[in-house]
Amino acid sequence: MLKINNLHASVEDKVILTGLNLEVKPGEVHAIMGPNGAGKSTLGYVLSGRDGYEVQQGDVSFKGEDLFEMDIEERASNGLFLAFQYPVEIPGVSNMEFMKESVNATREQRGEERLSATEFLKKAKEACKQVQLPLDFLKRGVNEGFSGGEKKRNEIMQMILLQPSLCILDESDSGLDVDALQVVANGVNSQRDSTRSFIIITHYQRLLEYIKPDFVHILADGKIVKTGDASLALRIEKEGYAFLGKEYEGASA
Amino acid sequence: MSQWLTQVIDDAKRVDDFLAPMRQQALSKLQTQGWPHARSEEWRLTPLTSIKERTVEASSAAVNYNVPQIKGLNPIDLVFVDGVLVTNLNDISLPTGLTVYALSDAPSAAQTKITALFGHVKPTRHVFGLVNDAICQQGIYIEVDENCSIDTPLRIVNLATKDCDAHTRALVNLGKNSQLKVIEHGSGSAASFTTAFAEYAIGQEARLEHYRFAFFTGAAKQVGGSHFSLQDKANLNSTLVAYGSELSRLDVDIIHAGEHANAKMNAIYLLAEGEFFDLHSTIEHAMPNGTTEENARGIIGDRARAVFSGRIHIHRDAQKTLAELNNRNLLLSRRAMINTKPELEIYADDVKCAHGATVAEIEEQALYYLLSRGIKRSKALVMLNFGFIQELVNDIDNENIRTWLSPMLSERFASMEVK
Repeated sequence: MLKINNLHASVEDKVILTGLNLEVKPGEVHAIMGPNGAGKSTLGYVLSGRDGYEVQQGDVSFKGEDLFEMDIEERASNGLFLAFQYPVEIPGVSNMEFMKESVNATREQRGEERLSATEFLKKAKEACKQVQLPLDFLKRGVNEGFSGGEKKRNEIMQMILLQPSLCILDESDSGLDVDALQVVANGVNSQRDSTRSFIIITHYQRLLEYIKPDFVHILADGKIVKTGDASLALRIEKEGYAFLGKEYEGASA
Repeated sequence: MSQWLTQVIDDAKRVDDFLAPMRQQALSKLQTQGWPHARSEEWRLTPLTSIKERTVEASSAAVNYNVPQIKGLNPIDLVFVDGVLVTNLNDISLPTGLTVYALSDAPSAAQTKITALFGHVKPTRHVFGLVNDAICQQGIYIEVDENCSIDTPLRIVNLATKDCDAHTRALVNLGKNSQLKVIEHGSGSAASFTTAFAEYAIGQEARLEHYRFAFFTGAAKQVGGSHFSLQDKANLNSTLVAYGSELSRLDVDIIHAGEHANAKMNAIYLLAEGEFFDLHSTIEHAMPNGTTEENARGIIGDRARAVFSGRIHIHRDAQKTLAELNNRNLLLSRRAMINTKPELEIYADDVKCAHGATVAEIEEQALYYLLSRGIKRSKALVMLNFGFIQELVNDIDNENIRTWLSPMLSERFASMEVK
């Protein structure tokens, strides 16, 4: 699915990723944890192709193709999905119009026909119910005036509608109460199958109680410094990152 | 002085009709004021050279013309082609309570009302307004009886089909507690110069739904205005939509002459290539308890230039006024330009007012968000940057107008390049 090899990347001349390696196979769930500033969000942005994030070295193949050869929109329509930590508010563009265009662009890429307005509405309503957002959220401007939790649920709703093959969740749990956390987790779990993969970027072990990861990686100083199973997350929760070595003592978990 | 204005003044001196006293006043003002000074605040950003050096071309009606249609609207059309009223008013049937006269044909009772309105709503500071006062003989007078609600929209069309000077006028009287919908629709791209001014007296508790479409493009130059006076509890809802041309300038004045009047004005401008559009709006709150909500939004592409000057003037007696003025602009290229100046001038102490102006370039974050969902770049740009325009389109009351405008504007936007 995804193979990251020796990835070096920087933002505004500041080097953030320093030789990151990661392989994600179909159906796997990988959690990435790590102290603040380790480069977790940068990884998501680099993979999705955000402007200003420069790759200095290394390569990434996505479904066997060179990811860096693809534009942002191509990566997305090829099945890469990033759920944002801070989704943007776009007043004036309705959530419905936005998601319909997005779903249809993906369908066209796959050689499928565009959905009609009614067909899409039906799917959208189902997804909206699944993430427990009131239906009028479909008509509102994209994320306009949504609370933090509502924005995160809106991201999950998009994920459900787009049916991507690789989902990267960037701190989808931050700022959520327990109920909202469960909605997000259920959304993710409903999409898990043997072909779809997930990378879950998180600070806390909390989300991983609901979404059981196959692997937990610790990202520090721009590379993965430790990999383990779900128990690694528990250990971080208890001990912080101190066991990684002196330089991480005091780094918050 | 400009050769064009000198010639216009000479021609105007020969006009002799029941409006003569007003024309005289306008002429003497024109002669003392002369051509606007290059540094005059009102005109310094408006490229007037082509008019200044213009030779007057007398207007005459074209034979071949197409009146743009708005599907489903079925309005009563009053059509001026190259400054000549071509609609035969005897041929149209009017609903009860609605009266329409050509200025040249108005019976003496109507002449009295016309004289009371002509040049009284429109401020006299406007040089081309004065020109229109002095010389315009092609115009219409519209009156709605008290307590009458006219459902059929009335459309005043100005078409520019050839090189000539076109001066047209509309005077609209809304009786107490009456309702009317008026569309001023200008269109054409022929090298021409149009001054089209409209004055509206909105009576007590009367409601006017007003639209002005300034679709003069290319070499079609225009300077015009829509001016409104609102009596007690009168209501105005106005939407202005403009493209740009070599020279396109509109002045809007809204005068709260009575208490508890409400005015809402939305303006949209979409300028491509080297187009120019200039909107000057002035809201006069002369009486207490009035409200004004003004939103002007524009997208300026390529080498185009827009000017927005919005002034809200709250007089000393206009306590409890609520007024808001907002101007938002999006520039699509490094060479596109907007001069924006929202102004509040407040002399009353118990009022609530706000004003603001923003100029944005393409929102990179929002664009990235849409792209990251697989939406194609060209489509994403339209969706994003058209949103704030679409908001104002959605705000339009009339469904037929909304349905007509929306695809037309998004198509124009889609054809504008982001550089």
